[in-house]
Amino acid sequence: MRKYTIIGGGLAGVTAAMEIKRLDPNGEVTIYAKEPYPYYQRPRLWEYIAGEIDQEQLYFKPVSWYGEKGIDLHLNSPVLEIHPQNQRIVLHDHTSRTYDRLLLATGADSLIPPFAQERLPGLFALRTLEDAQNIISYADRCTDILIIGGGLLGLETGRALLKRGLKVKIAEFMPYLLPRQLDEQGAQVLQQYLSSMGMAIITSASTTKIERLNDRLAVTFKDGRQEKNDMVLLSTGIRSQIELAAVSGLQVNRGIVVNPYLQTSQEHIYAAGDSAEFEGIVYGIIPAAVDQGRIAANNMVEDHKLKYTGTVPFTRLKIAGMEFNSLGASNLSETNDSTLTILRKSDLDQNKYSRIVIKDGKIIGAILLGDISNLQSLKQLIESRKDITPYTHQLLDPEFDLKALAKGKI
Amino acid sequence: MQKWECTVCGHVYDPKVGDPENGIEPGTPFEDLPEDWVCPDCGMPKNVYIPME
Repeated sequence: MRKYTIIGGGLAGVTAAMEIKRLDPNGEVTIYAKEPYPYYQRPRLWEYIAGEIDQEQLYFKPVSWYGEKGIDLHLNSPVLEIHPQNQRIVLHDHTSRTYDRLLLATGADSLIPPFAQERLPGLFALRTLEDAQNIISYADRCTDILIIGGGLLGLETGRALLKRGLKVKIAEFMPYLLPRQLDEQGAQVLQQYLSSMGMAIITSASTTKIERLNDRLAVTFKDGRQEKNDMVLLSTGIRSQIELAAVSGLQVNRGIVVNPYLQTSQEHIYAAGDSAEFEGIVYGIIPAAVDQGRIAANNMVEDHKLKYTGTVPFTRLKIAGMEFNSLGASNLSETNDSTLTILRKSDLDQNKYSRIVIKDGKIIGAILLGDISNLQSLKQLIESRKDITPYTHQLLDPEFDLKALAKGKI
Repeated sequence: MQKWECTVCGHVYDPKVGDPENGIEPGTPFEDLPEDWVCPDCGMPKNVYIPME
């Protein structure tokens, strides 16, 4: 009977545990989780902060479910050491356990930028359920908060805190929001939507200092601007938890380095999820944690069974409740390639934005924000590489029948 | 017919109901959903779903 040990009770770890049990029902599967709670649905922490669901509703499954599945779940159980030579781990009570195959699914922490190293009252980051609880109890004594970082997570947290009754302001480092997903005109529509919700946005705001000033937190930006708020939330990215792997002699970089079988530099030790680095990339996205958890599990049961080739980031999102879709080469710009035609249409009152990228008479990409009713038609037009030259300037006209064009009826 | 559950937000895909708002007819088994179908509640792709007991 093979002994499988998983360090980390998050999505990658739990996915791997379920997959191992499916492939090797007699295998002994044990999860050591640092946190006191079973796997909880992290994106729902926003609903929890907004006061829409309670703590129990965050859990994917109750603790009893793990036992029923034959998974031995240990909460509050950080692992202190790994000894790869004799396939042994040391637990927090200094007892040790042996393993046949080990998975490191240790996840990530919030990345704390250099200007925020000092622990100040009122300064938070959101990653865990405990963080969310601390934020909630502090927020209920406050009136306003500044969120540093206008990425997807910062915006979602902002929306949740608005619902909790706080005044929310977001400070984004870049000149406009979500430059990886949107162009400037699209970001304007998003910004207008967020403002109408009550969220203030400041851009090109590069933080240099956070300090306590008369019971408030003062944040100073490079250009001299200053914002004073009761609370500050850092939403500046994640950092893989690699310390345990590093002190145990495994190869680490930004994450724990893995090969296509998701093996670390030690052949019986695997890594998956936010702690793993594959071909120089720490994905840090949910679908990658699921893919990697599954593939690692397969290889732990049977050597070299499956190869991981990467995870394609999904292109449909909800940005603070707004539908967003990007298709194909959506973000190409005519300033870099004069053969492109870019059609844009924004509607600030309706919170809608569309962008279509055309090359040689064919649609090669699109962004749809707020309204995705044209999604299927645009997808078909991109795939069919249909020549749309005669209709170029009508495509975004609401009277134009895009569906008929996509179906070849006109 | 087998129901599937989103591990991220708990949404349940019931083949009897389908996902008509996103063009999925009632009676469509989970396996037959297009690869680019996503969870209607949280937007995650198909691979985060697991079969329900």
